[in-house]
Amino acid sequence: MVGTEYVPMTPKAAKEIWSAKVNGESVEELITSNAILLDVLRDQVGTLGVKRGCDLGTCGCCTVIIDGDARLSCLCLAGQVAGSEITTVEGLSEGAHLAPIQSCFAEHGGSQCGFCTPGFLLSAQALLTENDSPSDKEISCAIEGNLCRCTGYQQIVDSIKAAAEIHRGEAEPVQPASNPHPNPHPEGPDQPSMPPGHAR
Amino acid sequence: MLMPPFILHHPSTVEEACKISAELIKKGEDFDWVSGGTDLLANYKWRINTKPHVISLSNIPGIDSVSNLEIGCMARLSSLEGSNVHPMIAEAAGKVASSLIRKSATLGGNLCLDTRCFWYNQSEDWRRSIDWCHKADCGTGSDCRVIPNQNTLCVATYQGDIAPVLMVLGASVHLIGPNGERVMPLSEFYQLDGMKKNVLEKGEFLLKVTLPKDSMKRIGSYQKLRVRDSWDFPEAGVAVSWLEGDKGSIKVATTALESIPREHKEEVSQIIAEGWDDKSVKALAGAIRKSVKPVNNTALPPNYRRSVVQVLVKRAFSQIK
Amino acid sequence: MSAGYRQQPNSARKDGKRVAGKQVFPPPGSGGSDPVMKERDLNFIPESVGGKEPQPAGSHIHDRIRTGTVIGKPLPLVDSNAKVTGQAWYGDDVRLANESIGKILRSPHHYAKIISIDTSKVEALPGVIAVATGADSPHSFGVLPVTKDEHAMAVEKVRHMGDLVACVSAVDEATAIEALGLFEIEWELLEPVFDPKKGLEDHDDPIHWRGKYHLAKTNVQKRVFQEFGDRSLVENPFSSSHGKWTMAGVHHGFTEPHAVVAHWDPNGRLQLYTPQQVPHYTHRALSTVLDVPMHQINVIRTFVGGGFGGKSDPFPHEMCAAILARKSGRPVRITFDREEVYWINRGRHPSNIEVKMTADDEGRISGFDIDALIDGGGFASFGHVTSYYNGVLATAPYELGSFHYTGARVWTNKPASGAMRGHGAVNTRCAVEVGLDEMAEEMNVDPIDLRLANLLPPHSRTITGFRITSNGMREALERVREGSNWDEKFRKLPLGKGIGIGCGFFISGSGLPIHWDPNRFPHATVHIQVDMDGGVTVHTGAADIGQGSTTAVAQVVSEVLALPIEMIHVRSHESDTSPVDLGSYSSRVTFMNANAAIRAALDIREKLLDAAWDILGYHPNTLIINDRRIYYKHDPAIGVSYLQALHKAQEDKGALISSGSYRSPPMGGVHKGAAAGLAPAYSFSAYVAEVDVDIELGLIKCTNVWAAHDCGKALNPLAVKGQIIGSCHMGLGQVLSEKMVYGRTGHLQNANLLEYKIPSIHEMPHVEPIIVESSDPEGPFGAKEAGEGPLLPILPAVVNAVYDAIGIRYNDLPLTPDIIFKGVEKKRKKLKLEEATELPSPRFTHGPKSIELQKSLMKRSQEHKKRDLARQKTEDTSPYVNGVLFGFDPNIPLEDQVEGWRMATEPDPEQLAELGLAGRAWLKKEQRQMESEK
Repeated sequence: MVGTEYVPMTPKAAKEIWSAKVNGESVEELITSNAILLDVLRDQVGTLGVKRGCDLGTCGCCTVIIDGDARLSCLCLAGQVAGSEITTVEGLSEGAHLAPIQSCFAEHGGSQCGFCTPGFLLSAQALLTENDSPSDKEISCAIEGNLCRCTGYQQIVDSIKAAAEIHRGEAEPVQPASNPHPNPHPEGPDQPSMPPGHAR
Repeated sequence: MLMPPFILHHPSTVEEACKISAELIKKGEDFDWVSGGTDLLANYKWRINTKPHVISLSNIPGIDSVSNLEIGCMARLSSLEGSNVHPMIAEAAGKVASSLIRKSATLGGNLCLDTRCFWYNQSEDWRRSIDWCHKADCGTGSDCRVIPNQNTLCVATYQGDIAPVLMVLGASVHLIGPNGERVMPLSEFYQLDGMKKNVLEKGEFLLKVTLPKDSMKRIGSYQKLRVRDSWDFPEAGVAVSWLEGDKGSIKVATTALESIPREHKEEVSQIIAEGWDDKSVKALAGAIRKSVKPVNNTALPPNYRRSVVQVLVKRAFSQIK
Repeated sequence: MSAGYRQQPNSARKDGKRVAGKQVFPPPGSGGSDPVMKERDLNFIPESVGGKEPQPAGSHIHDRIRTGTVIGKPLPLVDSNAKVTGQAWYGDDVRLANESIGKILRSPHHYAKIISIDTSKVEALPGVIAVATGADSPHSFGVLPVTKDEHAMAVEKVRHMGDLVACVSAVDEATAIEALGLFEIEWELLEPVFDPKKGLEDHDDPIHWRGKYHLAKTNVQKRVFQEFGDRSLVENPFSSSHGKWTMAGVHHGFTEPHAVVAHWDPNGRLQLYTPQQVPHYTHRALSTVLDVPMHQINVIRTFVGGGFGGKSDPFPHEMCAAILARKSGRPVRITFDREEVYWINRGRHPSNIEVKMTADDEGRISGFDIDALIDGGGFASFGHVTSYYNGVLATAPYELGSFHYTGARVWTNKPASGAMRGHGAVNTRCAVEVGLDEMAEEMNVDPIDLRLANLLPPHSRTITGFRITSNGMREALERVREGSNWDEKFRKLPLGKGIGIGCGFFISGSGLPIHWDPNRFPHATVHIQVDMDGGVTVHTGAADIGQGSTTAVAQVVSEVLALPIEMIHVRSHESDTSPVDLGSYSSRVTFMNANAAIRAALDIREKLLDAAWDILGYHPNTLIINDRRIYYKHDPAIGVSYLQALHKAQEDKGALISSGSYRSPPMGGVHKGAAAGLAPAYSFSAYVAEVDVDIELGLIKCTNVWAAHDCGKALNPLAVKGQIIGSCHMGLGQVLSEKMVYGRTGHLQNANLLEYKIPSIHEMPHVEPIIVESSDPEGPFGAKEAGEGPLLPILPAVVNAVYDAIGIRYNDLPLTPDIIFKGVEKKRKKLKLEEATELPSPRFTHGPKSIELQKSLMKRSQEHKKRDLARQKTEDTSPYVNGVLFGFDPNIPLEDQVEGWRMATEPDPEQLAELGLAGRAWLKKEQRQMESEK
């Protein structure tokens, strides 16, 4: 006969105050002692760009940068990284300006369904911060823990190489063609898209 | 996947860690150690052998040092990759799982890796449907699902990469706990039972690994068999090293074929001591094949894993001569 | 010539003063963010209409509406910024106020009757909000109307381990999980069936019961028999091959686990958020299960983190969330663990496939004989269709003397199989392409030449009656041959290195809209709305699952209206606002949705041109529509801005709206099952793969792939290449490492991403994507599908390359190292070799006869090349049907020319004894037949 024992999930573990710097901002949360960083980031801090793919360290969708290292937030106890500087995908861009790695992923097809994209971006960003001229092998090693089911990785590698060029200052940052406001305030008399009767 | 409840303790010195463990033992409370968490937390999410307390070693300064003769338990595998440790250690560390995991995973965690089995590394729902297994759910009185009706031993497989390499470099492990520190060769650290795994007593943890002075002079090779060059645990692994020119110094160890990594002293002394040529390597490979007993609980079938150990041995030897 | 034209002339008011009592009426803005009109990009305007875009495949009906704006240019997906900033919202990212967390209780048994469920302890647990069981949802549903065999939760019995039994919502996840342990259930265990072969036999308790249509007491869900052509050609073959394949089930492996949020709004309407490829079917199923009219349900498709067919069924957990939310009045969010993703499955069917093929002394393929037994798991899903696809999609691109197919899909007590990228076509395609390689080996001819000499031409009919329009198969084969330097490598590489070829053929949109009559209702509908601001809002139900369907729709509208793509806003998330669309399956979206979008855009275009005519006085035929400006062909200074024309057009009616639809032409035969595999167009592909085999360990490393795919016209080459490379990755997974492992107890042993081995970046070869453009006459701007077809050829290309490397044929997928090792050891022992590294490499062994045959094949393919080109450019419009190669007249029905020309969908009684494994399903009788015989 099939057993019925369950590991009890309640009562929950005791709570403690957890603080860290997430995307440059100090955050303080009341977390359970056993909390996993991924859960804290998604459910409490609210950085939903950190994705839950497999929850067991084999897809890389939950990758975040912790004190400069790209790490898996699903296999990380929040308590162990209290006080750290954590970067999620939300922290990559500066205001409305995409980081080179972001615009290159858009431009070169590095993102299809987009679910693995935040993880790849952070793995790649951690690599480029350390090394702006990575070899093919270094690139593949940096993203070997990230799983992508759509792209076959090739266009992801293209994207990372293009971003590396921008990091090295060899190429101009690209704005993806689909960016609606490459130049939000065009000079000259024509303010586009103004409906008739709309006084300026 | 929700983490089952536990209290996380953060000692900031080794002494404090020992104190916490002693107190918990005294109170009769069960606990686990956690370093990087990449092995333990995955099992906890599956609700495998969870404990009400977990003691983290990550806040203890100084136990992550890396040098060519001494490596602390909290040394991240990624920090071993590019360091001045023996190139075999760097290579084996670089082959563990994926680069993301290696940023968290530690040497201590890798050596104390829980043994693995596809009847065991499953969710609670899954294990319930097979009426549990005797490793995962101690106390349920269940049978082993790999080899039913066997004795009480667990045959889950040890799939660490670094242990065989450290073994052939002659490494020792330093264990510490409420009752003090002890040192032993790594080859005596493991116990042939997938449940007990190693000699660690309750409250003890692996503090550091030390290597003999001549270990840096050793030339060696680690051969890892896996399906994918990322993520996968070894399906078989062979480490070989020697002090160049000294046949008597040859050491061979295997991993991922049994519940423990194992140094093959007897086979080596019987065969290679006689002379080292293609024929004797082949004979040694055959002897090792015979001595290991993989079971059907990893991704690839045991017959295959056992057969190709010979190839791995052969290749390892060809790399170091 | 047109450079420098400002989109909007300077203000009409020169003094700048405001006239008393009158509102300043500034001239209309231009729309878009660039104040200057871009010149027409002649490189992307076809030759046929005066541009510079080469058209080797001839002109296209849509050429005249090309504006050089975006079509054919590599373009980032329009939603890529949302994805790279983390703002794309997937299923689990929908967080509604006051949400509760739902969890599903799953069956611990493979097959069992539920005697009773006691939920009292669950309900008593503090924090539990709602509980539901099968009793709450008696209505059945299923993706296909003919096989509605699923329930929200088990009614009466569970059919596989992990099947849904009950569900609960609670204040948080911990409470919900805790609650799952409190259900008290009494079971009666039934004898499970795991082996599909056993599924063919009678069983005390068949997994489903189909009443009078049930086949004896077996677990056969669907059986198919098809026989076409002249079977006498198969006798005394010059060459033949025979392969018996076992292919493991594989899973889509999308990175986003299923998740759903259900919420009944204050007006009592259901708002359901789900990452669905096919929201419309979910919409229909919800209506049935909940007993609520469809208009009281709004299905909101979130971003979809990968689908590949795995998110195209209406799912029971979607029903569960809706039921729990209705019971509790609170939003419910259910997110799957990865393990649950495998338990709901719908992956590729585990298959036992047998392929026999024969060729005559002229190297013509006289017969394909296919038998496919597929393991459907616990539910029907798309399986009815899969049963056909396994046979009928394996014939083309080849011209065959005859075709014989028996297929059966059986229920087993495992998670249900369903549709997965390359639906039904992948496994038999692999077997067939490897079979061809084997025949070429036997005949000592080059396998590419063998294929080139047996291709159907453009504008022809396959042996089962499919209408082929454009066909770039020949070009694809030629280009991979050249790109890979095939002639220098094939059968010439050292031991352990090999090169192999494989082809593919796939539907570009299923011709049958499952839920309605194609003659009465279109396949796809698109609405366009343009308001005073000039922005174009496109409403479509096409589900973007990462393949870029939203981008494709935006692109075609942008192209037709010559507007920058940022002015096109596609709204496709909500069923409330989007016209009914069948969704993203069968590679239909680009073909059908883009066609509908073109039609809607054309309507707007016409209105704009008419307005410009009104203002300028020049007939639309003399006007050019370019980047936000419409001007006189012969003097660009005479023109109006887009907004001027728009506002003129809007004078009487306000916003411009239009609707466009796509309906497939009547096609196909009348035999039973004729609609399966029928499509308005077909894609073709050819891949060459290069492998390194570690012969001692059995490890295969695929190093290079040259991947040519005929997508008609690459609307967005960046996206097409992404699909090709991604398909290679997925196909490589299936051929090398991925499998759903069922252990001796019938349990799925590897329901996680560590043990279900999807290739990492290290396993990826370098892929050279080669786009072949055959310009389909009915495709939008000539386009066909590029999402599924590209997966097909990689499997056989790798298997054939492995043979070229080590001279061993394998018929078990995936080719894991232990399988390779076993084959090598067997051969080594047979040849009495000491080491595996001494195995002989396969080489050509030419004799005079084979040289002669090789020459004649090359000659024939040269002749056919001319034939194909003439037909492609419609210089030759004579009818062509499968059989012409064998000397038949295409103008006379074949059955009138050959005695015994078969077109059968049931076996003759005398055939029964010799049917293959799946064919044995024909030995059984349906219940109604058994009754009438009593």
